[in-house]
Amino acid sequence: MKLRPPPRRVLIALLATIVVLTPIVFFWTRSLVPNDLSPMSMGYADFGGGPVSEHLHHGVDVSELTGPPEQKPDVAVDLVARKERFDIPGRGQTDGYTLNHTSPGPRIVAKQGDLIQVTLHNDNVADGITLHWHGVDVPNAEDGVAGVTQDAVRPGQSYVYRFVAKDVGTYWYHSHQIAHEQVQKGLYGVLIVQPAADDVIAVVHTYDKVRTVNGEYGERRVKAPGPTARVRLINTDNGPMAIWVDGAPYKVVAVDGTDVNAPTEVSGKKVLVTAGGRVDLEIRTNQPVRIALGGGPTTLVIGNGDAPSGTEPKDRVDLLTYGSTKAIGFDPARATRVFRYDIGRTIGFFDGKPGLRWWTINGHQYPDVPMFVVSEGDIVRMTIKNTSGQVHPMHLHGHHLVVLGRNGVKATGSPWWTDSLNVEDKETYEVAFVANNPGIWMDHCHNLPHASQGLITHLMYNGVSTKFHLGGGPNNHPE
Amino acid sequence: MRAVYRVLAGLIAIGVVVQAMAIAVGWFTALKDVDDGLVIDKNYDGNWGHNVHSIVGSTAIPLFALLLLIVSFFAHVQGGVKWALYVFGLVVLQIAFAFAAFAAPVVGALHGANALVLLAVAGMAARRAAGAPTPAATTEATA
Repeated sequence: MKLRPPPRRVLIALLATIVVLTPIVFFWTRSLVPNDLSPMSMGYADFGGGPVSEHLHHGVDVSELTGPPEQKPDVAVDLVARKERFDIPGRGQTDGYTLNHTSPGPRIVAKQGDLIQVTLHNDNVADGITLHWHGVDVPNAEDGVAGVTQDAVRPGQSYVYRFVAKDVGTYWYHSHQIAHEQVQKGLYGVLIVQPAADDVIAVVHTYDKVRTVNGEYGERRVKAPGPTARVRLINTDNGPMAIWVDGAPYKVVAVDGTDVNAPTEVSGKKVLVTAGGRVDLEIRTNQPVRIALGGGPTTLVIGNGDAPSGTEPKDRVDLLTYGSTKAIGFDPARATRVFRYDIGRTIGFFDGKPGLRWWTINGHQYPDVPMFVVSEGDIVRMTIKNTSGQVHPMHLHGHHLVVLGRNGVKATGSPWWTDSLNVEDKETYEVAFVANNPGIWMDHCHNLPHASQGLITHLMYNGVSTKFHLGGGPNNHPE
Repeated sequence: MRAVYRVLAGLIAIGVVVQAMAIAVGWFTALKDVDDGLVIDKNYDGNWGHNVHSIVGSTAIPLFALLLLIVSFFAHVQGGVKWALYVFGLVVLQIAFAFAAFAAPVVGALHGANALVLLAVAGMAARRAAGAPTPAATTEATA
């Protein structure tokens, strides 16, 4: 029997279908993120003008870059993570995650030089968990990033973190597995190295719609420790937070764990705490004062009696010019690697999902992003430029950056050492650091939903590789 | 195929209504939440109303518009391809307006107006595929 060719109309229709679908299928397919991806093979190497190295896959594995293995710990903490209901004082019950039945988890306090040992147990968090020590320059194996420095800790499993608290300051810890969900729902806590006994701690966190301080909602009160109080503010949320003090002047005495050199007293100004960042204030507390935490009903009052409530000041303490200059210990002009980190956005697909705002790094979408390759001892400069329409709190693991300038204006204040840098839309920051902590380090946006949308890359040391995979069997999803 | 054409066009029209409902619920909920202690700042990323709007707008309606266009090549609907192209074009325009409105909120007004045009055009496209095919629709005039 002779097969009749299909009518011309059907052929044209088929052809038109192919013409319509081909580009869509092409872009859709290209956007898919492999389910099992080694950080060693993702993206493309960016050597920053330094020597090109061919054998990135060889050398020491990140799992060997541990803290002191033998020595007895000075501070030993056991943390058990659970998915459960817990109370937000002043607000009521909420569903989320806890560490030892509380959120925030237990405060970890150490003296400078202490060996901290944290044993993390996962009771029933089905997706697995990790703990990352935000702002602490730990050895790479202790960094707690699922799929880069370890596998996610499954229910019933444990993992031991050991590191020396070599720098004093205000830090925090949080899960780095499905972080955009787990942190928001409560898997975080405070870590302070060398506090005074009467320091005031104010860790701000928004659970769903409820902004809290130290896990509590509404006006919260603490006693005045004396004529002045050191207040350690921590922003665990995804957006920058304006802090101001009603009722007294204050000094900004530390930023991201590093003391400010020669801080001056300010009044009638706000100070910005980057998402993930920390700011320590010294406040005169001979009268009751109110610390406003980004506006809204949750505030912290120090002292007894009525504290004034004001409105958000217009002026902001600019860390670019605040305090006095001091040597930073290296010469950024002698940089051996120079990188750019341009944050843009694009319309289209990300991992098969269509959207209007997907992030790009140097014009590329995750996972096809630049991997910044360095060697130990390199002096590194980086230009972080944001044209994406939204603010991004940029967080480099394992290192502290010093800010050299912003939008072409040189930094003239105290050395501004940071690990969480608020880069607003249309801003450009010039930063530098010394590559002195070998490993594979995440360099990502700490607006955690943005990270889960691909605003992530890595700083990779020559001679270090990782056996861990993103996705894969342990289902590692650090964002 | 005519029935599929009609259903897809109808789904797009219903989708526009869902979008209007979702975004209204989203912002009224947000206002109520603010009274209840919510802080809307750069940390805020919306509620379920906003999420529905974003998923229906970036995935469901574009997918229906794309399928409508493909179905129109095969369905014997008079002017079917033309109307499917109108719908597709209006959906593209709607997304472009949304994209632009993040930087220039005043463009949001066009996003709102264009939604009503899309609703009307999708409804008219659905009506063209109602009932039995007319003899003229079986010719190649629509290609």
